[in-house]
Amino acid sequence: MANNIPNNLKFTKEHEWIKVEGTTGIIGITDFAQSALGDIVFVELPEIGKKLALGKTFGVVESIKSVSDLYAPVSGEVIERNENVIEKPDLINKSPYDQWLIKIKIQNPSEIATLLGPEEYSGVCH
Amino acid sequence: MSLKKTSLFEKHVSLKAKLAEFGGYEMPIQYTSVKEEVLAVRNMVGMFDVSHMGEFWVSGPEALKFVDYLVTNDVASAPIGKAIYSPLCRPDGTIVDDLIVYKLENERILICVNASNIAKDWSWISSHVGSFNCSLINKSDEISLLAVQGPLAEDVLCRIGLDSNLLKELSYYEVRSSTYRNEKIVLARTGYTGEDGFEVFAPHATIAILWDKLIDEKTTPCGLAARDVLRTEVCYPLYGHEIHDHNTPLDAGLKWTVRFQKEKFIGKEALLKHTPTTKLIKLTCKSGIPRQGHNIVNLQHESLGSVTSGTHSVTLGMGIGLALVDAKKYIAERPCHIIIRDKEHDIAIQDKPFVKGGHK
Repeated sequence: MANNIPNNLKFTKEHEWIKVEGTTGIIGITDFAQSALGDIVFVELPEIGKKLALGKTFGVVESIKSVSDLYAPVSGEVIERNENVIEKPDLINKSPYDQWLIKIKIQNPSEIATLLGPEEYSGVCH
Repeated sequence: MSLKKTSLFEKHVSLKAKLAEFGGYEMPIQYTSVKEEVLAVRNMVGMFDVSHMGEFWVSGPEALKFVDYLVTNDVASAPIGKAIYSPLCRPDGTIVDDLIVYKLENERILICVNASNIAKDWSWISSHVGSFNCSLINKSDEISLLAVQGPLAEDVLCRIGLDSNLLKELSYYEVRSSTYRNEKIVLARTGYTGEDGFEVFAPHATIAILWDKLIDEKTTPCGLAARDVLRTEVCYPLYGHEIHDHNTPLDAGLKWTVRFQKEKFIGKEALLKHTPTTKLIKLTCKSGIPRQGHNIVNLQHESLGSVTSGTHSVTLGMGIGLALVDAKKYIAERPCHIIIRDKEHDIAIQDKPFVKGGHK
């Protein structure tokens, strides 16, 4: 199973990744997640301005046969959505780390410490 | 309880198939990609290990009379060599299972049933033999079943050495006994995909040889996920979804399988009196994917029923679903919506199956 885990990202045990750039968090799903899901055919993302709470669902990715919730890695407000993946969800299968889903303004930077590093995350990929 | 494995299990493992439980068996769900597998069947040829299905043989002077009494569809007047899809009902009209009757001879009939219902069907059918002069055997553990489906199915089966005249002569929903490498097989032009294709019933070792030869001929191995998408696209019902222990064929769009002109069959009296409580509708949705359990509502937001099978259609590139709705509350031509994650989405009701399929 595909399991590419970049070093510069943080992860949730539900297989989201987040890249922290100052107060901005860029969020997507991991290579492990896209591979486990199979052909992704539908993505539902929150509107800009929506406030996300740590660990709560913020959207959905669907493959042909399954539905998976997306969980917020940290709390924050949605500032941008990747409209490309809404139009062409299979882009996530092709490049899960380039095809982010949403960007948020991080509300509480101390929450970042609760996330998994690459090594810890590789331990939950099985 | 440990899961059963089909005779081809090791081949699925070596192909790195994703495996999951289905009907008490550990079955291949997908090999590479559901999308590629669906497209292989629609455009080229794919094969499915469906050896989890059950096979019962009914033989003897009254085999035909017995089977015709058991099922709602008309087996007695069908010609020899015909395959007949039918529900199997209780006296109250509810459905024990749906199955295919392969009428090889009047005195030699093969019944193929759903894996999850093998034990239930066996006990139901054997308890009704009574005074019928026929015998019944359950060969489910000794027979493997391979479905080879798609426009190139006849071609590949011909190339690997099945009887080419027979392959050519068989029409849709016909069946014959044949041989392959001196082993007896049953060859039928049936399937569950809407495409042209064949199903081969044979001993395990014979199916293993066919599988390997078909792999060499570039037949795409396909899992149960692709099979479910394919059957939903052509609107074939699935036991446990559109039909189950608590509804009748008349409640699920299967009136055509209930032949009241037959003198006698289990469930006839109840079904004659039954007013359908639900109607099966076909819906497409462009803004979301219908899934089992999603509610269907009318313009007054009143619930009409729910989705029984739903998926993304690979062939159409949109959401499709089958739903059972209240026969009284549902009014054709009136708009209705589907509720997906608390939001109403537009749906279009379709009169015809979503995909036509290329079966002969």
